[in-house]
Amino acid sequence: MSRFGTELEVQISSLRRYARALLRDKNDADDLVQESLARALSRADRFKPGTNLRAWLFTIMHNVHVNQVRQKISRPVEVPVEDHEMRLITPARQETSIELRDMSRALAELPEEQRQVLLLVALEGLKYDEVAAALRIPIGTVMSRLSRAREAVRIKLSNEGGVPLRRVK
Amino acid sequence: MVARPVEDRDLHAYVDGCLDTQRRIEVEAWLAEDPASAERVNAYRSQIEQLHDLFDGVLREPATPEMEDLHDKLSGRMAGNDNHRRGLLRSPFARMAAAVVLLLAGGTGGWMLRPPSDPVAVEQQPALQSFAQEAVQAHTFYATDNRFAVEMGGEDRGALDSWLSERLGRRIFGPDLSSSGFRLIGGRSLPIAAGAGAQYMYENDSKRRLTLFVGTPSKAGQEAAFSYVQKGDVSMFYWVEGSIAYALTGRFDRDQLMNITQVVYRELKGRNVPPPPAPAPPPDAAKPPQPGPQPVGDIKRKDM
Repeated sequence: MSRFGTELEVQISSLRRYARALLRDKNDADDLVQESLARALSRADRFKPGTNLRAWLFTIMHNVHVNQVRQKISRPVEVPVEDHEMRLITPARQETSIELRDMSRALAELPEEQRQVLLLVALEGLKYDEVAAALRIPIGTVMSRLSRAREAVRIKLSNEGGVPLRRVK
Repeated sequence: MVARPVEDRDLHAYVDGCLDTQRRIEVEAWLAEDPASAERVNAYRSQIEQLHDLFDGVLREPATPEMEDLHDKLSGRMAGNDNHRRGLLRSPFARMAAAVVLLLAGGTGGWMLRPPSDPVAVEQQPALQSFAQEAVQAHTFYATDNRFAVEMGGEDRGALDSWLSERLGRRIFGPDLSSSGFRLIGGRSLPIAAGAGAQYMYENDSKRRLTLFVGTPSKAGQEAAFSYVQKGDVSMFYWVEGSIAYALTGRFDRDQLMNITQVVYRELKGRNVPPPPAPAPPPDAAKPPQPGPQPVGDIKRKDM
């Protein structure tokens, strides 16, 4: 496989992780990744070799996601009840500790625009200007969303951490 | 000179490793004086760790057939269709190893870009490749373990070096990476396909870990170019120097890891570790202030 192919493989893993963290549901996340790759394929000619593949792919994925969200709002998908229930009772993954469960909840409670920025920076390690480009927002907005997201999660986790302490006593 | 006041954005850039050395030192000085900011920084770092704990499992999931297909099409469309090479590079590691991008130009000490190596050549270095694979496994296995990350602590560097040198039968040492913000937390010895391996583990202020894996795979002997491989978000540079192979591994991007690799390489060169005279030399017991090892006697291993 070419060096490009290997790098692409790495980036696809990264897109999957981000999509899963953003959407939680495995099928939704894989759909988002697949649709994004299909879009990338249709625009492959516009990618300049040697430029930032990661930023390019995340930008495409963000656009696809925005479209998917719009479609869902205008045309709600009917889901069989049992399927929906199964998703609700099946955790996104095996979360072994209370700490991680709280983190997972705090993340889910963030407004999506903050969750996106936090995940791209803290989980995917994108640079601030890459995040700004991918989400098409000014870098100042990246910084303010990042700051609000981190503070919201911090405060939430420190409050929840207090509950078991009181209970133990 | 009065430092600029530390703002909210500096704390984030500090946590995300985006500050230059000068500003990093200023922020650290500020954090030492301001417990509230220090607490925030610690909390943000734990958030990073917890996000990885929650979602890194996804990196190990096999790709769906649709993704495989799209990957192959994209790869072919964007980089010229070279999928006929695929059969040679079945194993995931061989595919990683094909991403060789850098070498240290012999003699000049300068880094330069090199086109991807011929995958066939990679296939012909099974010993080094197996060493690199073992280094990645050892990293993944121990760097995430908070309780048993190291077998022996790094407080007494001389004793650690001396013990690991004894295990390897070569005089080795854990380089000082404090200029890159990493401190040595300790090391361990491990069995590898070609005898013994030694793993030095480092950690920075963000609790991010880096390992330097040292071994003597049988193919070592000729100098090898620096090779870069990446799997998921774990990156590694490996190379051969004299009779010893090194692999530097961590969850960093290529540029970050390359900078640290340069420091490691310079440190190793600076200490100018000689090939072992026979019989086995007294292990290097203390880090000498000047380049060049100064054996000062045989210090026995101290257990933690």
